[in-house]
This record gives sequence, structure tokens and C-alpha cells, in this order.
Amino acid sequence: MKKRVRIKSDEATTGLGRFRGLEISIGELVDDDWDEPMGPTPMPGPTTLRSWDHKLLSRYQPSYMPYCQVCCLCTFGKCDLTGNKKGACGINMQAQQSRIVLAAANIGTSAHLAHARHLVDHLIDEYGPRAPLIQGPGTEIHAPITRLITGMRPRTLEDASAVLDYAESQLAHLLSATATGQEGHWMDFESKVFHAGMTDHLALEIGDLAQISTLDFPQADPEAPLVEAGFGNLDPEKATVLCIGHNIVPAAAVTDYITEKKLGNEIEVGGICCTAWDITRRDPNAKVVGPISWQLRFIRSGKADVIIVDEQCVRTNVVEEAQKVKAAVISTSDKAVMGLPDRSDDPVDEIIDDLVSGKIPGVYMSDHKKVGEIAAKVAIALKPKRKKKGILPSKAKIKKMAADCKKCMECVRACPNDQPVQEAVLAAQQGNFAPLEEIYHNCIGCARCESACPNDYLLHSWMVKAAEPSCDKEKFMVRTGRGAIQDTEIRRVGQPIVFGEIPGVIAHVGCANYPGGGEDVHHMMEEFASRRYIIVASGCAAMSAGQVLDEAGKSIYERRDGEFDAGMVVNVGSCVSNSHIAGAAIKIAAIFAKRNLRGNYEEIADYIYNRVGAVGISWGAMSQKAASIAAGFWRLGVPVIVGPHGSKYRRMLMGRADKEKDWLVWDARTGDRVSVAPGPEHLFYAAETVEECNVLTAKLCLRPNDTSKGRSIKLSHYIDVHEKYYGYFPDDVWTYIRRDSDIPITLKDKILGQMKENDWEERRIPDPTLLKRMIMSGGAD
Amino acid sequence: MMRAIPWQTGEICGPDSAKAITKAAQIERDIKKAKKPVLVIGSEALTQKHRKGTMVDYAIEFSKAAKIPIIATGNAIKAFLEKGFDEVSRMGAMELAFYLQDPEWTGPKGNGPFDLILVYGIPYYMQWTLLSAVMNFGDHMTAITLGRHYQPHAKWSFPNMKENRWHDELDEILKMVGGGK
Ligand code: SF4
Ligand code: SF4
Ligand code: SF4
Repeated sequence: MKKRVRIKSDEATTGLGRFRGLEISIGELVDDDWDEPMGPTPMPGPTTLRSWDHKLLSRYQPSYMPYCQVCCLCTFGKCDLTGNKKGACGINMQAQQSRIVLAAANIGTSAHLAHARHLVDHLIDEYGPRAPLIQGPGTEIHAPITRLITGMRPRTLEDASAVLDYAESQLAHLLSATATGQEGHWMDFESKVFHAGMTDHLALEIGDLAQISTLDFPQADPEAPLVEAGFGNLDPEKATVLCIGHNIVPAAAVTDYITEKKLGNEIEVGGICCTAWDITRRDPNAKVVGPISWQLRFIRSGKADVIIVDEQCVRTNVVEEAQKVKAAVISTSDKAVMGLPDRSDDPVDEIIDDLVSGKIPGVYMSDHKKVGEIAAKVAIALKPKRKKKGILPSKAKIKKMAADCKKCMECVRACPNDQPVQEAVLAAQQGNFAPLEEIYHNCIGCARCESACPNDYLLHSWMVKAAEPSCDKEKFMVRTGRGAIQDTEIRRVGQPIVFGEIPGVIAHVGCANYPGGGEDVHHMMEEFASRRYIIVASGCAAMSAGQVLDEAGKSIYERRDGEFDAGMVVNVGSCVSNSHIAGAAIKIAAIFAKRNLRGNYEEIADYIYNRVGAVGISWGAMSQKAASIAAGFWRLGVPVIVGPHGSKYRRMLMGRADKEKDWLVWDARTGDRVSVAPGPEHLFYAAETVEECNVLTAKLCLRPNDTSKGRSIKLSHYIDVHEKYYGYFPDDVWTYIRRDSDIPITLKDKILGQMKENDWEERRIPDPTLLKRMIMSGGAD
Repeated sequence: MMRAIPWQTGEICGPDSAKAITKAAQIERDIKKAKKPVLVIGSEALTQKHRKGTMVDYAIEFSKAAKIPIIATGNAIKAFLEKGFDEVSRMGAMELAFYLQDPEWTGPKGNGPFDLILVYGIPYYMQWTLLSAVMNFGDHMTAITLGRHYQPHAKWSFPNMKENRWHDELDEILKMVGGGK
């Protein structure tokens, strides 16, 4: 039976007053035979979960660091917001900053949502609306995020489409809140940021579920195949198609065509950014070239004959760059047409002729079916013509050109990572290329140094040339994305996670805007995997982690299995697969604690927040999408750490460890207000260095619900990394001791001394909750 | 006088920007009148040279001479401790950016509330955001940056100085607070 879903959100009472929610009416959803009772907040509107958000936001206050102190969003402005001044619309600096954060979260959400929409519509065309959604074996609780948010279990692509209808309606409301003269208070902007993040996670889950169900991806498979990655793994004897972006559909058309026509000996397909994960999930013969930051270096190396761009994280001047190496570009997304002529309706042979002859630099093809044939044929025809010629100048030429350097420092001042480019250029004048090579390893491939150089030096190419020998050797194995975590895996680790015996789940996700190279991600993962934390990965971070090889030439994926278990490294897949990380946390509540998920957001978030020691790290977070993914985790109560560039998101969510009253919880067993140690101390934090990130990671895994055994294990790791990286014993250990049995036994004397110095008193271990209604004897929020 | 411009070219801030320190004496008044100053030293101080040592050594000398406590950010504290200097506490740069907005915050060792921060060694763009928090929401405080590059959100900053000149000025400032002997 089907019914039309109409949801009216509750009224919410908060410190700011009483607000009436929105009435939501969305498309058709299957009203199935699910016997789980419907929770209080199915399909929440923008204010339905406001009181939950306020609970988090009063504990984790936004710390704004205005990145720009004027506003130019409407013609009232520009408005100067410094020194407590207000804009012409009445907005103040804090609200303006939170408004920009909401704008970023909306942009990120829209990218994922439009991606999911395209996938679902396309797959309905291909497989019909009734094609089933399958997450894989052992995933009885499939689509945990969708269950939690919408109260529905999506069974088919048609259901997936209806879930996206809801998400799209939310995004429209959130986007409208940023208009001049709409939302006015930072607290409400921030609550909407959380709502955007939650909506984003829904889109991620639906997008990945749809492709996993239909496109032969690994389905919740801990043994997802190891695939080849790195520059050196691409065979120069074959024609090469490079796919950049996030949407599998056009890339799949190419791999399918190659398989169908048995062209595997002639062509290979490599991916950059998340398309790399998704093509290798579908076809393990495809190659992962690398993260987003390797786009330019790979294009300029000349190895790619055809470049297919789909959506998100594509270099917007890709056509100009491809032209330099005479590679053909096929743009395939209506979101990134790149100025190319629309040739979707033209005969394939004509398009191929025009691309091979160089008459046009590229085409826009909305018809993905033709893309496979065009890309393959053009690549094969172009290969002998282009001879894989790149534009990397010879070292002799660089040396000669470098002699004219004006020593103006513009390259250094343009570099986001403050690399000593001028110095390296001056060394190259003398024939010393080591400094240029050194920069290559810390470089995010943005080419800002080049744009700034008055001599128009192709400085990034110079770095790539200097590092060419190591680039060519760059070969490593990565485990492609497995998709969801199985319920059976959760059953095995749920208890040790909630009780703290597995000290934490650490997810490395996101982009490659690293302050000092991708090796850092590997270092952080290894630090905690060897301590038996569960390491989860996705996106570009998951690629960078594979780069570092041990003495036996093995990557972290070859050394560690892909099960969701202590000490393992679990690659879930692309950006959309981040949903499985949130999904695993949600499933812990459902499976281990038997909590109902259906439309029960607050209760589950409260559970995760107080019990599941999970931390997200996005060391190279760059995009608005990283912001919306993070926001989805914040609302679920999962803290997120970003690298130093993440400070440019311009607001952190910070706890005050020194204010005891900020850390009160209800004890669900007794209804008492109980003070707990600050855990997790912050909800969003940019770390300055890898060392700081490591120490904070260990600390943010602490949760009020830890058992004594769990707490002492977590504290031992915290103390150990603190001493290792800061060189001293942390002085706040005593605050995390609730009773003697929490004390790590080997450090007893030291900690007892600290407790005595600070007049420590024994505290109870509550059954912690922020929701008064969770008190067993009854309570109301 | 040349107009001071941000070190990273895109980091333009807003209507207000720092005054450029061209001579150490310009900041003497602000330093001397501060009752509760603090030195904030970031992780890059470990590798930034000054004379025969690093900017960590400079911080230690400064702190001893002026009797100003140090808060080290990132993992910089380890270098201080390894040098046997322990008048230092540790906080994250972003924690500091947050706590400094609270006029009642008394600092990690209770020796605040601070009325002056002297800062260097945090990655340029991150120090930029920290100083923005202070400029916009911490007006109970004066911020001076002693790094070589111009930080528009401080009250006073060096204007992208040549390295030698910067070291000379740093030495002058050290002398001003009774050090450098
Ligand atoms: S949106 Fe408000 S602050 Fe921004 S320019 Fe318009 S009136 Fe000024
Ligand atoms: S391409 Fe590399 S070296 Fe050049 S500005 Fe960007 S990060 Fe710096
Ligand atoms: S921008 Fe160009 S000319 Fe100026 S220092 Fe750098 S390499 Fe030399």
C-alpha cells in the first residue's frame, strides 16, 4: 500500500522562544509492513530538531574568526561589520559568520544531493523504478540514516527518489534562510547548518545505496578488492582515459565499453578524486591515479589521452590544461559543462572526428551512453598522434629559464602552504633540483604560484619534473570501497566500543588540502591502528593513506584487513560512502542497545554522543562538501578535527573544559543531574600540527558512558600520545577519573598524585543523556 | 612609508588593519603598559631561525627578560621542555582563539585575564584567523604579532620584513624588555 506522506513538525520551545515548525508534504513512499513504532521526528523540518541543536550549541559554542569582515551579499552593501557595527539589514558579525557557514553547508549538501538525484533518476531509467535497493549481506538494517531521519525503509529506487524529494525540500528552506532579511540569529543559523548536514548525510546514503544496488559494487564486503594506484601503475603503452570527479555514470560507460569490446589490452582507465573509487568499485581493473591535488600534475604529464570530467572537485580550467597537452575533454555533467559545445545529439563518428582532429578541444555530452564509445575511440586514435607528450620542460630548459627569475617572491606569497618556491627556483638556476622536488611533496597542486609569477613560469610543472623519477615509481595498492558495515560486524564490536575497550573509531575522510603532504594521513592512521582503534577511511584521504609503503613495499591496506574491527583499516569508498560511517554509529545504537531508529533522531544522536567514541578527521578538508559532511556528524554528536587550513571555515565549535556547569548530563537511571568530564571536549576543531591532531584524537574518544576498564584504556592511550608528542604528562588526567578503577594501573602513582593535588572526589558513572525525557522514571524536555 | 600588505596575497581582511612596526620603539608603550601580557608561540617557531638558535630560544629569552608567561600552541611545547624551560603551558591555537574572546578567562595557569598577546610561529593563515577572533571579539586585548610577515588583524605587525632587518628589530624589542645581554 502506498500513501502520501504529510508530516507536521512539532512545536519547539527553546531559550529563544516558541517556534512553529513547517508542514511538509512530500512524494510517495512505501508504507510498508515495518512493525517498529514511528519515533517522534520523522522527516524533520528545519526547526524540528532545534532544541537538540541548542543543547549541543550551548555546550559547544561557535568560535567565530571572521574571514572577511564586510558583507557584499546584497545591494544594501557592502556593509562594514567590524566593531559591533550592523549591516543595513540589521545583521551582526556573529550572525553573518554563521550565515556564511550555512551557505557553505548548503553548497556542500546541494552538490551531494544533486549527485544523488542524478544517480537515482538515471538508474530508474536504466533499471526501472522497482529495482531493489540492496546494501549487501549481513545488512538487515539497511539505510540506517534514512530510517532514522525519515522513518521509512527505502526498498526500491522509487523510494530512494521519494527520500530525495524530502531532502530537496529541506535544502530549499535552508537556502532561503540565507537570503537578506531572513534568519537573524547565529544560534538559528547554526541549527540550520546542522540540519543541512543531516540532509547531506541522507543524500549521501541514498546516492551510494542506489549505485551499490545496481552497479556491481562490493556490497558491504570487508574483502573488497585491492586495486592498483599511483602514477607508475598506468601503462604508457596503452591509451589512457582519465576520469575526474564523483559521478560513476560516464566512467562506467567507458569501462563497460572496454569490457564489451575486449579493449583491455589497448586502453586503461584511471580516476582522480572519488570517481577513482567508484570506477574501481565497479571494475577492479581500473586504476586509482590519486587524490584531487594530483589533477594538474597528471594532466600535464601528458599520460591521459582523453579526460572525462563529471562533477565536483574538477579543476575548472581543465579544458585549458588539456589543450596544452592536446588531450580531448568530455564534460558529462550539467553542473560542469566547462564552456564546451553540446554535441549530445550528434552522430558519434562526427564527434570522434572533431575531437581526434583537434577541431574542438572537447565536447559536452549529456547522453552518457555515447560517452564510452567516444572516449575509447578517441583515446585509441589520439595516442599515436599525441605520443603521450606532456608539457613538462626538460631540466636544462628549466635551468635556463630560471636564470631570469625576478626574485619578486610573488610565487611564495601566492602559495597557500607557504612553500619556498623562489628559493627552489634559484637553486634550479644552479642545476640543483632537490628543493623543487621537496616542494612537490608538500604541494597541493593549486598552481597559484604560476598564476602569480610575472615571468609566467609553469612552476608546478617544474616541481613535477624535478620529482619525475619518484613519480614514475609511484605504485601502491589500495583497497577499494567496501560500502556499508555489516550488522554482524557491529554485533561483534558494539559492546567493546560502547564500553570503551576498543578505544575508538577514527574516520579519515575528505579532501587533499594537506598542509604538508598526504603522508601525514598515513602516519595518523598507523598511529591509531597500531593501538587497536578501528580506522575507517573514504575519499581522497583513503587514497593518500595508501601512498606510504613499508620496507616490504606494502601499503597500509595490504598490511591491515578491511573488516570493521580493532586495528583494521576500513575503506568505505567515495564521498557518498561517508554515509556508512555515520550509518555504523547509528547501527551500534540499534543493534547493541536495541534502540528504535525509526524517526528517532534525537535519541539516537544522544546515544552516539554519550557512548560511541568516534572521531572524524578531515586533515585536508577543503570543500563546502567537507563542511556539510562534518555538519552531519556534529548533529549526530560526533566530533570532527580538520587540518590547519580548516581554520578557514572561520568557525570552530568549542567546549569549555574549565566550566564544570557546561558538562552536566541527566542520569537516565535516577533522573539526577550529574557532572561528567568534558568528553568529547570539542565538536569541531582545526589542529595546527599532526602531533596536535593525534593527541586530540585520543582525547576526543572519551565518552561519559565509558566503563572503568574502557576509560582506563582510553586514558592510557591519551597519556601515551600526549607524552610522545608534547613531551609531558597531561595535567588534566585527574578530571577524567571518576573512581579508582578508572586509573590506568601502570600510571597509578602519577595519577593519584595529580588527583590529590586537585582535591579529586569520586564521581558516579551515570547512564548519561542530554534528553530529560530519557529518564527512566519519566521526564520531559 | 610603504603601505603594509598581507603576506599571502589573498588574505585581505577588512576596513581595519594592523599598524606596521618599522621600529621596535613603536610598540614599547603597548608592551610597557600591559599588566598581564602573554607570549603565544606556534609550532613554526621550532624551525624559524634567530641568530644562533631558533625562535623558540628567542621566546625563552623574551619570557625570562620580560617575565611574561608563554603559551605554546600545536606541539611547540615539547621543544621548550626539551630546552629545560618550563614556564610554559600548552593550548591549541583554536582553543586560544576561543578562550581569548572571554574577558574573564584567567589563562591556563590563572595568570590572566590577559590584556596583551604577543604572537608568532603559528602557520600564517591560522594565525590570521586567530587574530581575527581577537580583533573582532576580544577587544579587551591588544594583539601584537612578532612574526616576519604582515598580519592585518593585529594592532601592530611587522610589514613583511627582510629577514636580517627583522632579526635586528627582534633584538631591539628584546633589549626593550630588559633582555639580550
Ligand atoms: S545582506 Fe545585510 S549585511 Fe550583507 S550587504 Fe546586504 S544589508 Fe549588508
Ligand atoms: S602549486 Fe604547490 S607550490 Fe605552487 S602555490 Fe600551489 S601549493 Fe604552492
Ligand atoms: S614569482 Fe616567478 S619571478 Fe618571482 S620569484 Fe617566483 S619564480 Fe621568480
